Amino acid sequence: MQEVVQQAGQFIDLNLTAVLFLFIVGFIGGLVSGFIGSGGAFVLTPGMMSLGVPATVAVASNMCHKFPKAMVGAYKRWRYGQVDLKLGLVMAASAILGVLVGIKIQEAILAAWGQAGSNLYVSVAFVVVLVVVGGYVFYDAWKISRYGGEMPVNENSLARRLQRINLPPMLNFKTAGIRISMWFTIPVGFATGMLAATIAVGGFIGVPGMIYFVGASGLVSSATELVIAFIMGFGGSIKWAINGMVDIRLTLLILAGSLLGVQLGAIGTTYVKDHMIKVVMGAIMLIVAVSRGLAIPQYLKELGLISLDQGAIATLMTASFITMCIGLAVGAIIILGSMWQARRREKYALKESYGQV
Amino acid sequence: MPERKSKRKRNALKALLFGGLSVALYAAVFANSSVVLAYTTRGAWFAALPITTAFVFSFVHGAFANYLWAALGIEPSKKPVETRVEEKRPEPRKRPRPRLHLNA
Repeated sequence: MQEVVQQAGQFIDLNLTAVLFLFIVGFIGGLVSGFIGSGGAFVLTPGMMSLGVPATVAVASNMCHKFPKAMVGAYKRWRYGQVDLKLGLVMAASAILGVLVGIKIQEAILAAWGQAGSNLYVSVAFVVVLVVVGGYVFYDAWKISRYGGEMPVNENSLARRLQRINLPPMLNFKTAGIRISMWFTIPVGFATGMLAATIAVGGFIGVPGMIYFVGASGLVSSATELVIAFIMGFGGSIKWAINGMVDIRLTLLILAGSLLGVQLGAIGTTYVKDHMIKVVMGAIMLIVAVSRGLAIPQYLKELGLISLDQGAIATLMTASFITMCIGLAVGAIIILGSMWQARRREKYALKESYGQV
Repeated sequence: MPERKSKRKRNALKALLFGGLSVALYAAVFANSSVVLAYTTRGAWFAALPITTAFVFSFVHGAFANYLWAALGIEPSKKPVETRVEEKRPEPRKRPRPRLHLNA
């Protein structure tokens, strides 16, 4: 496989635009990841492809930057007492199974309907999951915001009802403050892995799954997601590296920005209220859903299901990529804005307590 | 206040140290990018090279990023982080222990 890559001259020459693009998107992606546990990959892969990097090298190089970034982010948030390591390991183990099944489904679709069919499946999965889950997360965040960021615990929520079912083996998650049957954590991890294998961002199901299904807080879920991302990213990177697909230059350029961003995002979580994780996640998911929706006509055309001229397709694809970048930027703006506001409030309160105001 | 200033100064020095190390590592990779690329894309056991490189960079550059934010005064909030959604349940009422009465 490696010969094929080299023969095709698939490792691009880097110019200043490419370097800056990778650094900036790496930084913003890192910031979002440090805050909500995932993000950035959905912009980086198509972004690298638009620079002329082949899809496999883009996916491999992106994956190889993901695990060190997640490791640094997880370590940072573990120090803030937000990571539930046991929950992360249990989820990661079932996520690996999900990845294997997800890859099998992808292969079956590729064999039956070709590349366009596979792309259509990925885009439809993106839109359906992101609209349904992202819509609910955003609605929930909006509801909590109306109560000033703190809402009374709903004893009849799905997570609370599942926690009450005594189905051995029961697992205790100390940091998350949860006791739940292992049989209810497995489906969440499995779905995370399936989604990671399909759209490369498992966190879009993993974090809401841990919040609404397992019953962890937004802060613990997003921090624990970084542990899952590290384990899955590490395994995936080894697989790609064995095939000689990782362009380490691209990986290192993204890391240059993302290691700065992920630590800033992690610091941000210590200032904001729990529901801000949901606000950022919901907003990004809904904007990305629009972006993937714009890409669907191209795959429908490739499958011969609709007819559309090439100019319109090109415009839709550009609009799709720009919307994706906007999604990431909106997330970053909300994070930095809420962090700045909270820091100001904290400083003001401190001054007030010293009687300086 | 002076203690805070000296802490910031120490962080700035550490940021400079790790920043310099990070720049040196990046320069080493990009100055020899063709050789680096040739070895890191060989596949099989050479897969350890890109993985190790990513780890080494994450430690050095990660440490630089940590000290840089600290030197800029961007540090985590001092207030305790609320990680649990669960509210404290009321203490169960103490009931009198059952006693055996013998009405003989």
